Amino acid sequence: MATSNILSIGQSALSAAQAGLSTTGHNIANASTPGYSRQVVIQGSAGAQNFGYGYVGQGTQVTTVQRIFNDLLSSQISSSQSSYNQINTYASQMSQIDNMLADSTAGVSPALQNFFNTAQTLSANPSDASARQAYLSASQALASRFQSVGNQLNSINDSVNSQIGSSITKINSYTSQIANLNDMITKAQNLTGQPPNDLLDQRDQLVSDLSKEIKVTVVNQQGSYNVFVGNGQPMVVGGDKYTLVPVSSPTDPTKVEVGYLSKGVVTVLGQQNITGGVLGGLLQFRDESLNSVKNQMGQLALVVGQAVNDQNMQGLDLNGVQGGNIFNVPVPAVNANTNNLGSGVVTASVSNASAVTTSDYKLEAVGTNFVVTRLSDGVTNTYSSMPQTLDGLTINATGTMQPGDNFLILPTANGAATLSVATTNINKIAASSPVVDAKAATTNAGNATVSTPLVNSSYAGTPLAAAFTLTYNSATNQLSGFPSGGPQTYTSGATITVGNMSFVMTGTPTNGDQFTVSPTTANSPGDNRNALGLVNLQTSKLVGGINTFVDAFAQVVSNVGNKTNELNITGTAEKTSLGLLTDAQQSDSGVNLDEEATNLLRYQQAYQAAAKMMQIASQLFDTLLTIGQ
Amino acid sequence: MRISTNTIYNNGISKINDLTSDQSKLLEQISTMKRVLKPSDDPVAAARALQVKQAQTLNTQYANNRSAITSNLENVDTTLNSISDILISTQSTIISAGDAAYSDSQRADLAKQIRSSIGQLVGVANSKDASGNYIFAGYQTNTKPYTETATGATYAGDSGQANIQVSAERTMPANYAGSQIFNANGVDVFATMSNLATLLETPVTTQAARDALTAGLASANSALGTSLDGMLAVRSQVGSNLSELDSLNTAGTDIATQYASTLSGLQDLDYAQAVTDLTKNKTVLEAAQQSFVQVTNLSLFNYLK
Repeated sequence: MATSNILSIGQSALSAAQAGLSTTGHNIANASTPGYSRQVVIQGSAGAQNFGYGYVGQGTQVTTVQRIFNDLLSSQISSSQSSYNQINTYASQMSQIDNMLADSTAGVSPALQNFFNTAQTLSANPSDASARQAYLSASQALASRFQSVGNQLNSINDSVNSQIGSSITKINSYTSQIANLNDMITKAQNLTGQPPNDLLDQRDQLVSDLSKEIKVTVVNQQGSYNVFVGNGQPMVVGGDKYTLVPVSSPTDPTKVEVGYLSKGVVTVLGQQNITGGVLGGLLQFRDESLNSVKNQMGQLALVVGQAVNDQNMQGLDLNGVQGGNIFNVPVPAVNANTNNLGSGVVTASVSNASAVTTSDYKLEAVGTNFVVTRLSDGVTNTYSSMPQTLDGLTINATGTMQPGDNFLILPTANGAATLSVATTNINKIAASSPVVDAKAATTNAGNATVSTPLVNSSYAGTPLAAAFTLTYNSATNQLSGFPSGGPQTYTSGATITVGNMSFVMTGTPTNGDQFTVSPTTANSPGDNRNALGLVNLQTSKLVGGINTFVDAFAQVVSNVGNKTNELNITGTAEKTSLGLLTDAQQSDSGVNLDEEATNLLRYQQAYQAAAKMMQIASQLFDTLLTIGQ
Repeated sequence: MRISTNTIYNNGISKINDLTSDQSKLLEQISTMKRVLKPSDDPVAAARALQVKQAQTLNTQYANNRSAITSNLENVDTTLNSISDILISTQSTIISAGDAAYSDSQRADLAKQIRSSIGQLVGVANSKDASGNYIFAGYQTNTKPYTETATGATYAGDSGQANIQVSAERTMPANYAGSQIFNANGVDVFATMSNLATLLETPVTTQAARDALTAGLASANSALGTSLDGMLAVRSQVGSNLSELDSLNTAGTDIATQYASTLSGLQDLDYAQAVTDLTKNKTVLEAAQQSFVQVTNLSLFNYLK
């Protein structure tokens, strides 16, 4: 044993204290660095030497500097980040629609109400120029409202597209950094045998950031992270990385999809493959909510436009001509898959607006058949020939298709944005009915009367060719003289239907009494029958055959409100759960400054003690030297 | 449990953020006096409010329609009243004309009166409303319905009745065609009066002629009576429609009140509750801020000198 031994023990204590002080300082410096795990110095005894009388210790040594890190908590946090960010992204996209519908004074609903109020005014003043102008202006305002909603929804769609692009950019950047860090960490570890704590923290932080964009699975393979997304598509394997690319949807050029690039080939990953994170939230929002709101608003625009047109066509305009279109009604869009091999072309048109659903459809060539799938519920119809009618649509296919060729049919997606007004001429509003008159002859002895005739929607197609006169026969209690068919039994108050029009006769006719019904080609300025038809559309259940216009719009509002509400609530729950996990992780790995202050004091004292020891060793040595003097 | 310094800061900030956002929401509600600002605030109420608003607007529109139709019907009623007066005075003329002491020239004077009454009737039958539309022309409101002729008057209108929606379930005729009034119960008033005048203008020289006069007068009197009955029926229909409109107005006002209160219940803010909530929120926020400052001031470094 020698004083040099004492000196070296002191020296080992001094450097251990120094390492402790440095590590404490590092912790304090990084207290608020994201992803930083506190580090601790692991000290061990340097062993002892046998001097015959026993083992004398040789001081201390620093075994390693360890980061306090919990793998399990870290992967739980990543997974929670994915869920929370998915819902939060969905919710914040959804709130745009929620806010858009919040404006009760500028929404579609007031425009609809105003439109029908002007129809009421028109029905009270059918030939009044100002009432007609008001009706036309209100139809213009209604179309603009729909267009504005449609355009806002389209711009939300555009913004989703660009957000998908930037999320993909972030994902590629994170995965590329993770691949680099894998390399650096492996090299550092092989070189020193010690864990490069700060690189490890950086890599774990990148995994956490990556989880905010997309749900990932991380497999730790001998210290190297392999990262997978979706259904096991590798993004990082060791030092190699793969990339995602934004691609235009093959069936819908207005949508950006996520493509997976591998060996120069891009595969489109559908929404079912991308879950979690911002990217998952964006795709879920688009597929579940944006498309459905667009379709619902499109359906409403389509049905309003078509119903008003149909009614207007049943009447006579101010010039005595059969009414035409008030609105240009939206037409279905059909997109051919860009990967189709054949030359087939598919077209779709609306044959019955009330039967049109809010779903999109896929037509696929299977063998020599055509399979049409309603995408909302997956119901399929197989046809061996075209054209076919389905859900109020007439679908036709021409040209030659190869098996597997497919087409996306969007009946309502562009409806709201494309509804427009077809006429600016106030004379074109058809307020009056093409059947002008039904009257009892002045020579009648009985008191029977005929009500004003009403026409149905098919009247315009086959109008009454000429006037006809019904004659009552008291012996048989029958009326004869119908344009077609034999005599009919007379019942007071019963509705008599002739072709596409009907009227009611009441009272007691006497034998030989006559009643004349005449068509007209001239407008009757006081005739408001067709205007009343326009008024009645407001309370008719025309949307999908079950809802009035305002009901259909209220349903959109209620769906959007409920979904936003639900997302806000689940978002809060996810946030709380993420918060608890983060607290747990911070409780383990986070820096506590009071603790570091204590450590500072601890290592400072250790340092001072070690220094004192070395001073003593030095004095001992001096003592020895003075002996020789 | 070990708490990291980050956690202390993050949790403090996040609680204060939550409280501030609650406060801003309450302030927005108070400044608009609305509980439901976005559909997501209460999806059921937001959707229901749209439907109630439509019903409310329709109710207002029906009230406007009722007021328009009321003025039309009152106009018809007044006109019918003057027509009845003319017919009744013609009937008393008939009674005078039956007086055997009357000479041919006296009857000719009565005939003149009747011819002038025909002119008066045609005038009434061609009445216009405030917008210049003929009220007894059926749908042909731009066409003068009656033109006087030597034998009465011809009708150029039709039998159209314009119905107007006066409540959710009820439409009501806003006009009566001339044919319904001047041809009531199959009697052409103008022809009857013209025939009567011709009868009175015919000199009575023989017993046969006197018998014909008596018979003619009796038949004219009865025809006018039938016609008056018909008009009375129309008047009573107009009267009952007017009184129905009255009760529909009362009902409409009640429904309007009901809709307003339903809407208010769906959307409006409980002001007292909101102000209480705001005060509570403010107290909690102040407490959170103060305790945050105090907790973060606690540091061992303060004592390391």
